[in-house]
Amino acid sequence: MSQSSDAPVSSSRRKGGGIHAGERRFAFALTMPGLLVLFLTTTFPLLYLIWSSFQTINLAMPFLDGFAGVDNYVQMWGDARFWHAIRLTGIYTTTSVVLQVVIGLGLALLVMQIPAGQWVFRIVAILPIVLAPVVVGLFWRTVMLSPNFGLVDYLIQALGFEQVNWLGAPTPALISVIIIHTWQWTPFAFLVLLASLASLPVDVYEAARIDRANAFQRFWHITLPLLRPAIVIVVIIRSMIALSAFAAIFAATGGGPGTASEILNLYAFKTSFIELNFGYGSALAVSLLVITMVVSGVLFYLRTARHPGTKT
Amino acid sequence: MNVYRHARLLRTIVLMIVTGALLLVWVLPLIWAFVVSLKSEREVLAYPPSVVFEPTWSNYVDALFGSFSIVDSLLTSTIVATATTVLTIALAVPAAYAFARLRLPAKRPLGFYTLATQMVPPVGLVIPYFLILNRLSWLDTYHGMVIVYLTFSLPFAIWLMVSYMEDIPWEMEEAAFLDRASRLQTLWHIVIPQVRGGIAVTVIFVFLNAWNEFLFAVQLGGNTVRPVTVAMYNFVSVEQTLWAKLSAAALVAMLPVVIIGIAAQRQIVKGLTVGAVKGGARK
Repeated sequence: MSQSSDAPVSSSRRKGGGIHAGERRFAFALTMPGLLVLFLTTTFPLLYLIWSSFQTINLAMPFLDGFAGVDNYVQMWGDARFWHAIRLTGIYTTTSVVLQVVIGLGLALLVMQIPAGQWVFRIVAILPIVLAPVVVGLFWRTVMLSPNFGLVDYLIQALGFEQVNWLGAPTPALISVIIIHTWQWTPFAFLVLLASLASLPVDVYEAARIDRANAFQRFWHITLPLLRPAIVIVVIIRSMIALSAFAAIFAATGGGPGTASEILNLYAFKTSFIELNFGYGSALAVSLLVITMVVSGVLFYLRTARHPGTKT
Repeated sequence: MNVYRHARLLRTIVLMIVTGALLLVWVLPLIWAFVVSLKSEREVLAYPPSVVFEPTWSNYVDALFGSFSIVDSLLTSTIVATATTVLTIALAVPAAYAFARLRLPAKRPLGFYTLATQMVPPVGLVIPYFLILNRLSWLDTYHGMVIVYLTFSLPFAIWLMVSYMEDIPWEMEEAAFLDRASRLQTLWHIVIPQVRGGIAVTVIFVFLNAWNEFLFAVQLGGNTVRPVTVAMYNFVSVEQTLWAKLSAAALVAMLPVVIIGIAAQRQIVKGLTVGAVKGGARK
């Protein structure tokens, strides 16, 4: 956000208002097309969404269409399925983000210790990231998690554990979609944190070693604070993505069984496109938009406000 | 000394085993999908799942030329992803230059606006877009789909390009300026050649995201515009148990992004970390 403001400006450009005026006009002309397209393609549909959340738009019963005031929001407030979806969204987002960061950081710390062959991990880690989430969801739904014939189910039974109906029972279905998301995106955290670890200054560690700090102390007092900015960025990016996760869940469970893995995103989608109730679906989507804005606001606030000492 | 060396060797071995096991968690599903794609459909439903079997490429032949051919979808994905990428770069690079290097009125609010549009949940866009495109009769059209894809590619591309633009030195721009080169000439001949690497990374990210998109494609596409992601999903809905064919088709569909991913692995990691590492280097 503030990145652009601190660009150095040469002294030759500071002279003369005419030059600046020309530069401003030129800059304006360069940004206008992009910003105009951005406004038309994102802001305009969002305004339309807000408008439609105050309407009754039901493609199954178009004769009822019309202005609804706050009816959709009143309905939402008393809708148990909505609150259920909110709770699932919270569980899904926090669990998967925490798992991604913890496993990704652990893996990055381990791989840093390996004397050779780090490139193998880098290559393997890139694969889940570049795969389409819908394909990942389909892979897991079929060859990994399906009863008996799926690899995971087979291995679990072969190891003597009780069979789990991964996608067909409520709690396992929620766990499954969290596992799938974590599987696909932990490599993101891993790669980012590995790159940050590799760029940490060596001399601090030398000093710590001379001071006889043990491995845990070095991690807790040196590595973690130095990695903090990278971890915060990963948490922000991953939270935003998890909040709007759709394709993998849709492909693996469709939100089911029942509503067991139906996060708010899927509820808004199904209300609109399966029940064809676009007015109420819009209201649900607006609530997700508000939640996303609040969460990103809080995360950005935490990023800039706390620990001002770690900023350089 | 010897004891010390032994301890270190042991530590390395344990480390290799632990990280190797973790590695397997990420590799195994992919290898397994490949193994399944080489099976006959009867072999897929063998219990316990067979590891030794007569491999066949027939599923791949089917995926490409058979009754489940995904060639049309591959073509659709290529068109949509390419058009999205070209348009995005054409709009994002000039805007990023202005954000990174020039005096621009209301630069901070406009930059914040760009960032904010990136955070809009896609489901909040697919609903109004369905109603809007329906009214315009643009559902299931290429231009409709590309317009929608700009919503996630453009803000991201602008911000990625800004970070690359900020890294290039000022000297050459100054020299060009003193040589009385026009601003547009400076941008075209001086700045853009220096950020070619950044443009390449942006192209890769935009193309990957467009290729992999599903939510917009499944609802705003149709029989004309049906990208591979939707084709895969429809396949499972219709042919529940033909996993071998599904795996083969899915691996073919993902081949372009996997190749890009491996070939451009370093650039992708750099792109992922641009924000993170910079977040550490500056506020």
